[in-house]
Amino acid sequence: MIDPGTRRGIRLLFSLLVGYRREAILSTVSAFVWMVMVIVGPYLTKLVIDRAIDGNRRDLLFPLVGAVLAAGVIKALGVGGRRYFAFLLSYRAETDLRNRIFEHIQRLEFTYHDETPTGELMSRASSDLSQVRLVYAMLPITIANVAMFVVVVAVMLSIDVTLGAIVSLAVPLLLYIANTYARRVIEIATDVQQKLADNTAVIAEAIGGIRVVKSYGQEAQETAKVHLAAIGIYERSMELIKNRAIFIPLFELVAPLATAVILGMGGLRVIEGALTPGEFYQFAEYMVILNFPLRLTGWFFAEIPRASAAGGRVLELLKTAPEITDPKQPVDIPPGPGDIRFSDVYFQYPDGSPVLDGFDLHVPGGRSVAVVGATGSGKTTVAYLLARFYDVTGGKVLLDGVDVRSVRLGDLRNEVAVVFEETFLFSASIRDNIAFGNPDASDQQVRLAARLAQAHEFITETANGYDSMIGERGYSLSGGQRQRIALARAVLRDPRVLILDDATSSVDAVTEDEIRDALKTVMAGRTTIIIAHRPSTLLLADQVIFIEEGKVVASGTHMDLLERIPRYGAVLASSEVV
Amino acid sequence: MYARFGSGEGRSEGTGELLKKAASYGTGLGWLAFGALVATIIATVTRLAGPAYVRQGLDAVGIADRQALFRSVWWFVGALVLQYISQAISQYWVSGVGEKYLADLRVQAFRHLIDLDVDFFSRSKAGVLVSRLTSDIEALTQFVKEGAINVVTSVLTVIGVTIAMFLIDVSLALAVLALMPVLLAVSVVFRIYADRAYEQVREHIGRVLGAIQEGISGVRVVQAYTQEQRQRIEFGRVNERYFDANIAAAKAISAYFPAVDFLRTAGLALILVVGGQRVLDGDMTFGALVAFLLYLNWFFEPIVQISNLYNLLQAALAALSKLLGILDRQPAVPAPTSPIDLPTVAGRLSFESVRFAYDPTVPILKGIDLDIVAGERIAIVGETGSGKSTLAKLAVRFYDPSSGSIRLDDVELSSVSFEDLRRGVSLVPQEGFLFAGTLRDNIRYARPDATDDEIWLVCETLGIADWVRSLPEELDTEVRERGSRFSSGERQLVALGRALLAGPSVIVLDEATSNLDPETEAVVEAALATLLEGRTAIVIAHRLATAERADRVVVMDDGEIVEVGHHADLIVANGPYARLNAVWQAAGGASPPDGVR
Repeated sequence: MIDPGTRRGIRLLFSLLVGYRREAILSTVSAFVWMVMVIVGPYLTKLVIDRAIDGNRRDLLFPLVGAVLAAGVIKALGVGGRRYFAFLLSYRAETDLRNRIFEHIQRLEFTYHDETPTGELMSRASSDLSQVRLVYAMLPITIANVAMFVVVVAVMLSIDVTLGAIVSLAVPLLLYIANTYARRVIEIATDVQQKLADNTAVIAEAIGGIRVVKSYGQEAQETAKVHLAAIGIYERSMELIKNRAIFIPLFELVAPLATAVILGMGGLRVIEGALTPGEFYQFAEYMVILNFPLRLTGWFFAEIPRASAAGGRVLELLKTAPEITDPKQPVDIPPGPGDIRFSDVYFQYPDGSPVLDGFDLHVPGGRSVAVVGATGSGKTTVAYLLARFYDVTGGKVLLDGVDVRSVRLGDLRNEVAVVFEETFLFSASIRDNIAFGNPDASDQQVRLAARLAQAHEFITETANGYDSMIGERGYSLSGGQRQRIALARAVLRDPRVLILDDATSSVDAVTEDEIRDALKTVMAGRTTIIIAHRPSTLLLADQVIFIEEGKVVASGTHMDLLERIPRYGAVLASSEVV
Repeated sequence: MYARFGSGEGRSEGTGELLKKAASYGTGLGWLAFGALVATIIATVTRLAGPAYVRQGLDAVGIADRQALFRSVWWFVGALVLQYISQAISQYWVSGVGEKYLADLRVQAFRHLIDLDVDFFSRSKAGVLVSRLTSDIEALTQFVKEGAINVVTSVLTVIGVTIAMFLIDVSLALAVLALMPVLLAVSVVFRIYADRAYEQVREHIGRVLGAIQEGISGVRVVQAYTQEQRQRIEFGRVNERYFDANIAAAKAISAYFPAVDFLRTAGLALILVVGGQRVLDGDMTFGALVAFLLYLNWFFEPIVQISNLYNLLQAALAALSKLLGILDRQPAVPAPTSPIDLPTVAGRLSFESVRFAYDPTVPILKGIDLDIVAGERIAIVGETGSGKSTLAKLAVRFYDPSSGSIRLDDVELSSVSFEDLRRGVSLVPQEGFLFAGTLRDNIRYARPDATDDEIWLVCETLGIADWVRSLPEELDTEVRERGSRFSSGERQLVALGRALLAGPSVIVLDEATSNLDPETEAVVEAALATLLEGRTAIVIAHRLATAERADRVVVMDDGEIVEVGHHADLIVANGPYARLNAVWQAAGGASPPDGVR
């Protein structure tokens, strides 16, 4: 009945629960206290009715009502404890898991992130975790509820076997109906969610492409798309509503229907003297009490497959081992000028497509090399192998004579700074962005780095200077300005090797002009690898290598290659934009 | 005005006014809503009748009258059948009316938004606009779906139960009602505390999601600078604050519900003590006491419900107010009230003393005079911020000039109907935006009724038919699906095909700046030449070659035209264009070898 995937998910959910034993036990114990009092309450009321009122014992009235109140106090405490500890358990588990996910994501290598969409990782850390949390929050009360069903049925049978048996049949029946309903609703609701997401996509697309929409006056066409999406949502939602209209009144019908049955059958037995009026009340009250727990339990079991699937996805992510880690016995990088050697390097993507195919390169310390190649020729791979964002599949990469895989990642990346093609700035102050790699850097050091990167001037022109916030809600910088902040961030570490990965490709010619000056100053005295295709940037390098099909096919100065290698000119021209 | 959208704040209108405006989007739903209300009233009344039959039955038991007992039971069952039917109808109708309303609102709100001017879109954040039409409507949905029916039912139930209790026994009813102020006080205190707690929760979940998002998109930088540890610690702090906010809310809930639960027990105790004595005194029947006990279950629940719904209502009102912020906005570029017919457009476009400013203190265009004859090709060059893009947008009436006039074939642009205008003048945006759907849908975007023959003709003319045939499903290829994602050159080609099929007399083109491989580049160039043939063209040029090929180059600087003329003449004149040309040349370094371009 339960498929193996779900069973595995459930096992995983339970294995995680062990860490929160204390909260789980406290909540379940409180839930049991609550449950017992829920059952005792109507019994005490029965005593009041039968003994004090029906039995005409005024003296018993106050003590027995006192007992009802006392049970009420204990029940309230049970409810409070059950809720509080269940919240504590579920939020603690969610928070801890989210920390673990975040930490894990940070450690997974570039190739993993290349292939995994951001949205997917986001939903691991948000919606999947909510699913898991919900099940944890519901677990204590569900355990108590199941126990409650058993006890209530036993109590009813003990009061009156016939009546008890009839009424007890309602329990599994209701549980079945509640579970059926919940499964249907969950299925349709998931579908409605998907339709809502589709609708959002249509709207986002129309707004993103508003200039095309307006250029061709196609507002009506876009409205028709939204109309279609809205009807889709409407129709599916109406199905949901139909199910609710059938089932919810049904749930509400059960308790009074049972009361009517009890009234008829029980009334006769009261007349016959087989049942007391208090017991009649007790029966009716139990049906009212059972109603909501039955629905909740039905719903809980309907949620289990989804939650265990979500939990399974989360744990799968956490089990994905980072492939690029510190070596077991790391060596120190010896002092050196930043001499780089690629020796017979092979690299292929996880899917097997080859990128570098016997790649050799030697860059003496302090020299600069520009790497030119067509899209997909492996330029960026060269840079990433050096900083160990990727690991070679064959051969080795040496920095000042040691294999980059034999040193600590922190040490390596401290000496090899990369400025990426797409500048990423954090939503933080300009200062914090520059000091990202060295949080302890002094203001003076930050300013010096900014000056080197030709960024100091425009930073001081912003409203709050180095304290100006950037990012979505902050100051918006131009592409060239962002690029120079990234450059300052790199030089603040004073690395032996600087890698500029297509850092000037996405800016216009005038901005590139500004960045070029900055590059000149930061490159001085540092081994630099420049990945670029603009002639003006290429001229900054001492040497240009041209790679095709994973190998170096030519090297020399820019002018030299332009003359000798026709393909070189063609590759450059294809990306040249005036 | 704009700040309102940026900050996402609501408007300061009263709740009543908001609701009235909201209701105006639900025209034609009035009778349905009335029917739903009637069904809800019947459902509530029949439900409340239950304990009354219990009382009759029990009183019958008291005097051992079997027939009266069964009569009560059958009435009870009959009432339950009616209750089920009316409640099902009520559920279905109330929610159905709500869903219909929401479906209409989704479409109407979108129609209104999409008709607003381009200026509004460029000044608003796309994400904010999308969330107005999605998550804000969802907030309304929450209330319409779960709130509306529960509010009506809860209010009716409280009223009904109160009446029923007074009918049975006044003094007992008063005793139970005495608990009401306590319950209300507890609920209000909880509401205040919980509101604050939930506001914190919402704020912190936003931060947590933001931090995760940043952690993922910035992961390469984090690893490059080996800051994983610090990121982990900082995220842990943000995450922990979210935990704290949740626990604060949890404490409020964990205190409130037990309190309500205990009040219910207190009510029970009151009924037992007061009612028990009255039964013993013979002032009340036994059945009445049990009926009272059964009513008690329905007395507390609705009040708790209403207290919970208050939250939903507040969220819905906030969302509504933000949504109305958009719906109240009128397009800044209105359709002409009495349009002048322009069935065919020759393609002459003249600007006369055109001035333009988004913000009156910062003029963008400072008096533009330019007469473009039909069939002429104009290249506009100038630095970022010179006003060249604005000029292009005015030419297609994305904006109206602050003063001066723009005429198409001697007719004021603002007097031409949007239909005629869009047929005559098209802007082809640089990025080659593709809509989700097939290649066919994208090419015939401007003319959804175009036949496949027409589309293929366009492809042949542009020289892209072979490329289309090489695609896995030709015109049926989904442009956004994984694996068949188009390159930027291919996207540009589709955009050009779209423009050619639309066939306007005037084309305004914002030239692409992205890199293309040489083969595609050549195809795009050729396709562009075909497209522009015989049409008036205004090209915002980023490439030297484009300027060279134009009939006239218009050089803009700081909102003014500083030079007009043919490329060669302007080079000779050695003015601003010659200087710009020199910068371009320098940035390009050595000219590419012959035959490459």
